[in-house]
Amino acid sequence: MFQVNWKNLEFFLDDDPTPLRFRHGNSRVADMETGGSISAAEASAALASVRGSRARVAWTGYPRWYWLTTGAGFAAMPLATLLPTWLGVVLIALVAVLVARSAVVVGRARGVCEHWNRAAMRWQEVTLLYVPAVVVMMAGSFGKEIAWWLPIPAAVIVFVLFAGTGLMLTRKRSALRPTTRPTTDSTR
Amino acid sequence: VIHAPVRLRICAALEPVREIEFGALINLLGISKSALSKHVSVLADAGYVTQRRGVRDTRQRLWIGLTDTGHTAYRGHVAALHQIVGRGK
Repeated sequence: MFQVNWKNLEFFLDDDPTPLRFRHGNSRVADMETGGSISAAEASAALASVRGSRARVAWTGYPRWYWLTTGAGFAAMPLATLLPTWLGVVLIALVAVLVARSAVVVGRARGVCEHWNRAAMRWQEVTLLYVPAVVVMMAGSFGKEIAWWLPIPAAVIVFVLFAGTGLMLTRKRSALRPTTRPTTDSTR
Repeated sequence: VIHAPVRLRICAALEPVREIEFGALINLLGISKSALSKHVSVLADAGYVTQRRGVRDTRQRLWIGLTDTGHTAYRGHVAALHQIVGRGK
């Protein structure tokens, strides 16, 4: 439809307030988006509103049960090591299916269809949510070699870490109200 | 087209995902149905968003997504904003 060449992206930022101008291979897009004037304060407020929108898309609408059930699913992983191998494998497979299914159900309920390969959450948020739980999960699973009961406290910690972080971030990020910024808004 | 605050927030919400349902977008942005409809029409006329009708729970829903042109324009706009903020410091 349109050919876009990012190498041609140019900025003309000589005046103050700075003209918001960019030009690239798609002349139609460049024509539509070029020529306005914007101050640094307004640009900063616009970027803040962009960050707020992204955070709300990433975290708003998750029901409490999603974090609790997914946390319970992850907590079942170290416990599976206490079972006979075949039963543990069956349990892990069942939990994986349930976690994936609940993610799809929640996505539909939220009215947000995410990409399979990327999500609205920032990598820092994904790291904060998953890495501690996964580390404890692995430690608990391998800890069975040291003491048979180690997967049990590990499961509790995994549940608390994952569900707690998910609930906290959902509440915190959803509380970000849509921001307005000082500009001549229009529907032009 | 994009710089109007609501339209910028619409694009920011649509950029990281494939599609968002119209009703969910109203809740995310905290604006009225008519205002969102008007802004989405402007973006659709510019070729920045697509609108797809789908049925969920026996009700028809409108799904909105950013086109490739919309992605390009939005990223260019945000890059320009970053440049302006960088120059202001």
